[in-house]
Order: sequence, then C-alpha cells, then structure tokens
Amino acid sequence: MHQFLEAAIIGVGLGAQYALLALGFTLIFGILGVVNFAHGGFYMLGGYVAYTCVAGLGLAYPLAVVVAMLATAALGWLFELLLIEPLIDDHLATLMLSLGLYLIISTVVLAIFGPISMEFAFPVTGSFHAGSVYLPRENLIVLAVCLVAIACLWLVLFRTDLGRALRALADDRAVGMAQGLRPRLLFPLAFALATGLAGLTGALVTPILSLAPGVGEPVLATSFLTVILGGLGSLGGAALAAFIVGLVEAYTSVYFGGSIGALVLFVMVLLLLVFRPTGLLGRDVRGA
Amino acid sequence: MPMFRRIQVSLVAATAVIAGLATPALAQSGCELKIGSMGPMSGGGAQWGLAMDGAARMAAAEVNAEGGLKVGDRKCHVTVVAYDSKYTADGAAAGSNALAAEGIHFIIGPVGAPEATGIKPILGRNQQIAWNGSYAKDAVTTRYPLMFHLGPGPGGWADSVIKEALKHWKIQSVALIAPNDQGGTDIVTVDEVAYKDNGVKTTSEYYQRGTTNFAPIITRVLATNPDAVDTASSPPGDAGVIVKQLRLAGFKGPIGRNGGPGTEEILRVSGGMDVLKDFYWYAGPPDTPEARVIDADYKKLLGKDQTFGASLWGDLPGARMTLKAISVAGTIDDVQKVAEVLRHLPVDDPNLGKGVWSGQKQFGIAQELMYPFGVGIIKDGKEVGVTRVEPKL
Repeated sequence: MHQFLEAAIIGVGLGAQYALLALGFTLIFGILGVVNFAHGGFYMLGGYVAYTCVAGLGLAYPLAVVVAMLATAALGWLFELLLIEPLIDDHLATLMLSLGLYLIISTVVLAIFGPISMEFAFPVTGSFHAGSVYLPRENLIVLAVCLVAIACLWLVLFRTDLGRALRALADDRAVGMAQGLRPRLLFPLAFALATGLAGLTGALVTPILSLAPGVGEPVLATSFLTVILGGLGSLGGAALAAFIVGLVEAYTSVYFGGSIGALVLFVMVLLLLVFRPTGLLGRDVRGA
Repeated sequence: MPMFRRIQVSLVAATAVIAGLATPALAQSGCELKIGSMGPMSGGGAQWGLAMDGAARMAAAEVNAEGGLKVGDRKCHVTVVAYDSKYTADGAAAGSNALAAEGIHFIIGPVGAPEATGIKPILGRNQQIAWNGSYAKDAVTTRYPLMFHLGPGPGGWADSVIKEALKHWKIQSVALIAPNDQGGTDIVTVDEVAYKDNGVKTTSEYYQRGTTNFAPIITRVLATNPDAVDTASSPPGDAGVIVKQLRLAGFKGPIGRNGGPGTEEILRVSGGMDVLKDFYWYAGPPDTPEARVIDADYKKLLGKDQTFGASLWGDLPGARMTLKAISVAGTIDDVQKVAEVLRHLPVDDPNLGKGVWSGQKQFGIAQELMYPFGVGIIKDGKEVGVTRVEPKL
C-alpha cells in the first residue's frame, strides 16, 4: 500500500513540473503556430541563470528563481520579436530557428560552465516521513510553486484582457486583427510567457535533480509527448496530460521498473494517435 | 614533337624530379602526428570522456616538450583531435570515420561499452588502433585485434571492492541500479556474480538513459529492503541524483559503486559527504605521490589543473604506450606494425609503476593494461582511505 501512495505522491509532483513545461510549449504552438524546439534550452538556461545568481552573485535562492524566470522570458521575447516574427507563417523556418537557438544555448552553456554537473542544491532539504511513505520537503515546495504558477497562468489567460486577446489570436488571427489586436505586440509577449515558465521550471527543478548541459533534451521530449497526448495547442489538454504522464510514469516505474515505465508512455501516445489523433482535448483545426 | 612541346614536357619532368627530391626534406621538417581522443564529452559521463581527452593531450604535450616524437629519423609534433561520441555506439562509429577522414590512426578512447561495441568492427577498415576504457564483457576480442583495453574491468576489481566493503558493513543483500543498455547490463552481470560469490543476495534495477528523476525507481528498489544499493556503472551525474534521492527516501545503508570512478561528481551532485555518508567504490589507480606527479606535470604542460581525478591517471598509460609503440615501430602509417610492437611493450609506467598485460583469461587475448588499483571507503561522512590492490592475472 505504501508503494501505491508513494507512486501517487511522486506522480503528482512530476505532473506539476511537466504541466508547467507543457503549458509553455503548447501556448506557443496554440497562439503562434510555432513548434518551439528550444523549450528544453530555456529550461536549462533557467537552471544556469539561477545557479549563477546563487553561486556567483550571492543572491537568495527565491530571488534567483525570479531572475531566472525574467531572464528567460526576456530572451524569449527578443527571440520572437527579432527572429520568429518576420517568418511567423513559415512553419519549417520557425522550427529550424528554434532548433538552432537550442543548439546555441547548449553550446554557450557548455563553453561557459563546462560539461560536468554543477553543485547546485535546493536550500531546503529533508523529508516528512509517515511510516514507509516519505515526502521530500523540496518536492513539496516545488509542487506548491508549480501549482501557483499554473493558477496564475490560468488567471492571465482566462481573466485578463491580455489573455482574451491571446486566445482570440489563437482562435482566428485574421478576425482578431480585424478587431484591432496586434500580433506584433502580443506574439512576443506570449512567447516570453512560455519561455519564462520553462525558465521557472528549470530554476526550481534542477537544484533537486541535477544541472548539466543536456538536461534540456529529456525535458523537450517529455513536453512534446505531453502536448501530443493533451492535444497540440490545448491548454487544458496539456495540463491534464501532464498529470496523466506523471502518474503513469510513476506507477509503471514503481510496479514494472524504469525501462517499462518509459516504454508505456510511448505506447500510450502511439495508441492515442491511432484512435484519437487530435489528442485528449485537442481541436481538429488551428484557427491561427 | 615540336620544340615548344618538348620544352613543356622537360619543364614538367624537371619540376616533378625537384618535387620528389624535396618531399622527404619537407616531411622531415614538418612531420605532424594527429591522434584522436574519444568518449562522452558532454552529459552525465562527460568526466570520463574528458579524462580520456586530457590523457591524450598530456601524453602529446610530454613528447612535444622533448621536441616531438621520434619516428625513424624524424621528430613529429603530436596534436590531438577530440570527438564527443556521447556514450553511444553510433557516436563512436561516426567518430572513428570522422577521425579516419583526418588521417588519424590512433585513438585514445572511447569510454563506454556501447561506444566500444560501435567502434570495434570498423577499426580494421579504418586502420585504427583504439583504447577503450569500457567495462564490457567483450571489451577486447580476438576478432578485433586493433582494440586495446584500459583495464581492469569489473571482472578484475569487483571482488576486491566487495570484500573491502564487507569489512566495514554487514551486507547480506544489495540492489544494483544501472542504465538498461550494454553500458549498464554488462557491468551489473559481472557485479552480480561477484556479490553472489561473496554470499550477498542481489536484485537489479535498470533505467532508460536520459532519466532525470529516479524517485519511482528508488521506491521500487527500497521495496526489496536491501542492505546496500550499488550504482554500478550509472554515469556520475545520474549516480549523484540516485544517492540524493535514496537519502531523501530515508535509506541509511551503504551505497556502492562497482563501476567507473566519478566520486567527485557524485559528491557534488548529491550534496556532499553528509549526504553520501557511507560509500564504497572502485577508485582506479591508487593515490600515491608518484601518481600525483601527473597532476603537477599536467598543470605544467597544459597550463591548467586536471579535474578528472584518478580517471586521467588510469587513461594516461594507454596514450603514453601508444606513442612509445609508434616511436619504436618507426612509422605513423603502418598500424599493424605499431599494434604488434604495442603488444610486446613492457607495462611499466613512470607514475603508476609496474603492471601486466592481462585479458587472456577473461577475453582470450592479452590486450588489457592492468595496474594496481584502489578501493575507496567513506564511512559516517568521512573518507577512511583508499586500499591498494595489486594486479593479478
């Protein structure tokens, strides 16, 4: 029984982290129609910015997390404005641009910090234990921040004019523009919002796992898998799928081992693509 | 033949003769020997690949400091070309081809079992000698005689590591965790036999390379209630996360590493001695004053500190012996001749001391370098020390 509970705790924790990443990934696709292959790079960059703030500048960790989120958001905003925006309707070009950005981020990180893992620890350690069930304090804090960030994102998207404008552009860009919405102003903001979320996740998660060049690659794979499961462009679908992925990964790994856990996720996505190609909550056609 | 045509032919012939006469002189003065270094130079196993590269660069710098490597009547300047084979079979195979395209016949590396598997079959075609540092069950074979091994592998040290651990802790059962590819399964198979021979029950848990969060796997492992957990050949970055999450889950037993060196990185990622607490590991070459001379020389020759620990010490003899074999063979092109010389060179490193050519018993071919090695122990968060073990055939 304790294994069942433990898997649930781990699964929810993983799900919240995946949700933050997948929401950013799907936000960019849903609003801009761009598949952002640099998403894992922004996660990695968030970790390195936070590490530099803590180890190099002596900032408190919470402040470092905020700086990491803002720095990755700023980079995302610039990248969209200067490089993506002029080619926004050329899907292949934007895909290649984002892939190129990931390679640049990885190489710069490798050149500055070297290839080995950084000594970057979460400031709060230890676990709560109840019998055989344990809950690491750091995971609890990360889960709480992730859930707050998801709630904030929901508020921004569904309860503010900015969110309404972004969703309108996602639904139908031509009609949105006819109503006076300005993609050149709003698209970079959407991109910044998404990359800021990736940076926030990186700053939160890398101290409890590890920080090294290359940590962005599995993140990109998981984000991609999650948004396909949820339905590309669907925010609700991404959040739902993230928790499903987290729980499936946790339960299959706990009960069937690490190799089977990874396999089950891919089989699940494969089956879904066969029987419901639009994903759990995806739409047939993107308006934008 | 018209006069103009005759003059033209004579000029071409004269130029060819002059060029032919000049070539040896030019080659003699401008001899350059490129050697390759290969291994994972980014990601979780980067420390091992960079150590391999550091060993190649140090051996090259040593001979360059003497005015170059003597090859016949020439002195060749040695340069190193690095290739990041990313701990994969295809990476190593691509690396072999890329280095061959640059005319490179001698490779210090690769590191891992998948890489060794990928590169072995094409060494003959590319006429390259390579030194793998893997713990593969077939690290060297009679079928691929241009492959040499920087030993020993787990077959050479697992028993000694386990016996040393049993002196410090009561271990009746152990859970081994490793990647689910050849770089993990080959080592775990050998480790399991060594544990069982010492009366320790084993369970094994494999994970997909690229896994970042090991919490579910640790929950599964701890359900078997092991006395010890062994991170085997998990890359140091992964092993550091495993250690951290094991301690967070409340595991208080010793954690072993019957795999490659990498304790520095494990300490860094896991959170330090207080987290690592009780740890036993294969430490590679023992920490002696003679071995530490390597670090000082590295700084003197390459202008920076070596940060790869004992991994560099273990890789360096392979690079040194390769250059020595080239010099004795008197050729930088005849790979078969260099390999033949190499097989008969005495194993006696200026820093590591005397060793042996082992491998006949395990692999059927004595192409494994084996020097004395150490077994490290950390107990209650304090380093107890490294016990020296002499090589045996």
